[in-house]
Amino acid sequence: MSVLAYTLAIFILLTAIATALFRDVLSAIVVFGAYSLGMAILYTFLLAPDVAMTEAAISAGVTTILLLLTISRTTRPSTDRIFERVNVPAVVVVGAFVTVLGTLVLPEMYAVGDQTAPIWGWPGLDISPSVYYLENTVADTHAHNAVSAVLASYRGFDTFGEAIVIFAAAIAVLIVLKREVFT
Amino acid sequence: MSRSETQSDTYSESHVILTSVRILAPFTLTYGLFLALHGTDTPGGSFQGGAIIGVTVLMLAFAFGIEPTRRWLKNSFITGLVTGGVVIFAATGLATIALGGAFLEFDAFTDAFGLSHHWGMEAIEVGGVALIVSGVVVTLFFAMAAGFTPERYNAVQEDGAEVSDDD
Repeated sequence: MSVLAYTLAIFILLTAIATALFRDVLSAIVVFGAYSLGMAILYTFLLAPDVAMTEAAISAGVTTILLLLTISRTTRPSTDRIFERVNVPAVVVVGAFVTVLGTLVLPEMYAVGDQTAPIWGWPGLDISPSVYYLENTVADTHAHNAVSAVLASYRGFDTFGEAIVIFAAAIAVLIVLKREVFT
Repeated sequence: MSRSETQSDTYSESHVILTSVRILAPFTLTYGLFLALHGTDTPGGSFQGGAIIGVTVLMLAFAFGIEPTRRWLKNSFITGLVTGGVVIFAATGLATIALGGAFLEFDAFTDAFGLSHHWGMEAIEVGGVALIVSGVVVTLFFAMAAGFTPERYNAVQEDGAEVSDDD
């Protein structure tokens, strides 16, 4: 990863901490939007443009708008303090969790693009699913975006379930709010 | 904060916002349609495209006011988007079963009509997922904006009365 990618990772870390620490909810929402945009750019560095677009559209766009809409219906407590008081027990628990992840789990993970990673296949397997999709997508589906081919064709039934979940989410929101119209 | 105050807060008369939304909206709509329609060959897809199409409506609502946009968007249109998407998706899957394949096995279309496998994917991406996602994004926004008001027509009427009730 380049210097730019590391700068981006530091930016994401800082905005994540700022989101947790800002006392003013509006400030927290704004830095959270910046965090999501940073994540979207990081995904493009990891060669996942489809995920990056989803992150930018849903997380930075829709979520920020919905959060802004929600706090516009509440009152803003006036305060002189910029940052929230740090909750020491919570920091200890989260710190311990991050330390365990960083020292025990992260070193065990494969590097980005590592050819020995299980996604490229494992002993006793003729061809791994990922390699199959990459090699046969165009022949099988005549689509050039392998991600779309997996979502819409190879795993079409899963996508059907996901579409129904989104539909159910909208219905559930309307039921909770006791509304009978979509707009 | 009362309901009418909230609405006057979200209605912006800023020329900067109005002008930039007027200029940006056609581009975001086109980009959303491009992502949805071209998702099988380029990065992106119907989920991202549908979300951006929905966000275009959200942007218009932020610039021109939530209530005017709510009145401009017909409820039957959004209902049609969301339920129509589910129906088209399910119908495509059932059609492949009717033609002797498995659920969403698009090769059944190739055998029956000579249609490329590609078109089955387009049908569920553009006709299914994009419609559902854009409709649901708009629904979530307007539902959040309305909060616990039962119907939009009552809500509009209440607003006029509420201005005098609040003080």
